[in-house]
Amino acid sequence: QNPKVDSTTSSIEHNAGSNSNKHYRTTRFVSTITDLLFILLLIMSLSLQSGGTSSRALPNPTSSTLSAPAQATTRPITTGTSVLGVKYNGGVMLAADTLCSYGSLAKYKNARRLLPVNSRTLVGASGEYSDLQSISDLLRRNALEDRCTADSLYEEETQSEECAKEVWSYLRAVMYNRRNKMNPLWNDVVVAGFKQNADGTTSDEPFLGVVDKIGTAYEDDILATGFGGYIALPLLREKYSANMEEGEARAL
Amino acid sequence: QRPILPAHSKNHKLSKTVTTMASLLSATSAVHSRNGQSCLPIHSSEGQATIPVRFDGTNLSISTNPTANIIDGSSIDHGITKAPYERSFSPYEFNGGTTLAISGPDYAVVAADTRLSSGYEILSRNVSKLHPLTERCVLGSAGCKTDVDQLRSVLDIKMKVYQHNHRKPMATPSVAQMLGNTLYMKRFFPYYSFNVLAGIDSEGKGAVYSYDAIGSFERTPFSASGSGQSFLIPLMDNVISHKNRLDEQRDLPVEEVVEIVKDAFLTAGERDIYTGDAVEIKIITKEGIRTEMFNLKAD
Repeated sequence: QNPKVDSTTSSIEHNAGSNSNKHYRTTRFVSTITDLLFILLLIMSLSLQSGGTSSRALPNPTSSTLSAPAQATTRPITTGTSVLGVKYNGGVMLAADTLCSYGSLAKYKNARRLLPVNSRTLVGASGEYSDLQSISDLLRRNALEDRCTADSLYEEETQSEECAKEVWSYLRAVMYNRRNKMNPLWNDVVVAGFKQNADGTTSDEPFLGVVDKIGTAYEDDILATGFGGYIALPLLREKYSANMEEGEARAL
Repeated sequence: QRPILPAHSKNHKLSKTVTTMASLLSATSAVHSRNGQSCLPIHSSEGQATIPVRFDGTNLSISTNPTANIIDGSSIDHGITKAPYERSFSPYEFNGGTTLAISGPDYAVVAADTRLSSGYEILSRNVSKLHPLTERCVLGSAGCKTDVDQLRSVLDIKMKVYQHNHRKPMATPSVAQMLGNTLYMKRFFPYYSFNVLAGIDSEGKGAVYSYDAIGSFERTPFSASGSGQSFLIPLMDNVISHKNRLDEQRDLPVEEVVEIVKDAFLTAGERDIYTGDAVEIKIITKEGIRTEMFNLKAD
């Protein structure tokens, strides 16, 4: 885990550093309003949400970073298939196979498509695998920032972490933003976990929601993405009952 | 003075690549002519429900390629049997559904089915299409759910700002105007949402407004939008507007209108594949909003 944590923090620092350089340069330009817009644009173009170029790729970016990205996603290359989600008594369960295909080639036979975000949220996605990795990085970076900026580093973990519903809402905004730029993250993402009570503690109520690549977001007791939805959802809808035990849910 | 920027204008600034309607109109496949003038389909009943859009890095245009409409991978050919074609990403998707709103002398009834679909798949049987904006006003929207959700968020924020600035909730005719303006602000990359707004106006009378995707609106006695509107509007013409009937017209009490709404959705659900599962009915009176659910066939 440590090498992963180090690389993410160092990338945050790098981003912050180059941000301030650009900020200093651009404040010399025209009027205040255009300034603020430019700064916003630059900062946004650095992040995953905007789908622009990463500052890591261009240490001294020219003003051409303000223009639209040269390439946008037109089709998924390395793809994962369906993710299923089921709520049961006291929890929620996600299931996904471990195959990532490269067109018709079964390329990666042991790829993990269900990834934890923080201690109370699990994310699984079908579609382009690299975009899932990007999403996972983004969400883990957010979770780390939450922990670092919490009232105390030593407090109960769950107080400062985003609950599943917040992750789902946030991800919806990310996907919608990318689709508005015609450069989507080509995934159908399932978010599973628990909701939170008004005081921030984890509630007992499980949460299961999905966000697709254009930002269509909804929650339900049973979910399936991709082609498996056509096969699994009718079976799940017929056999599902609320508050099944974990074993029953697993068998289903 | 910093202008209050609407949520979407940043996208406009960023994507300088979104071209004007002129270049959108220049593509011919999704365009049909009306009285000799070309126009984009902006009404859910016109032609293709999904607008295939092509983005080549600088220009946004309607996709002219007739074979590249489906972008969900189900038509992967790999250039084996057909000629190679370019698949494009469409930012829009039609998620189905029907909404209906009827106004009365002191009430308004708005109803929408709860089915969310994508192509031939039912994504969920339990998603609401009605959104209360104030205690006296409900917005019902069919079309592309992601745009509908975004539109709701934008409206909620604007209404909060209004409430803070004016120290009172917005009146229904004002909400109607604001919704029209909000839709028109995205005239060149529209919210793909077909709305009906129902509520009680400042005089206590029922008000219903119907919209198209780019914000032209009108106050009407009733309104229907979405995939089942063609089944509902003719029925309402006869029953509510009393057209082509010889018996005497009478004022309908709210309970009878609710029964008419249920019958109407049974009718639409019978023939429209995107309408079904359940109907959520909201009755708005000066006392507030009351909700009823009514089950439909799940096929």
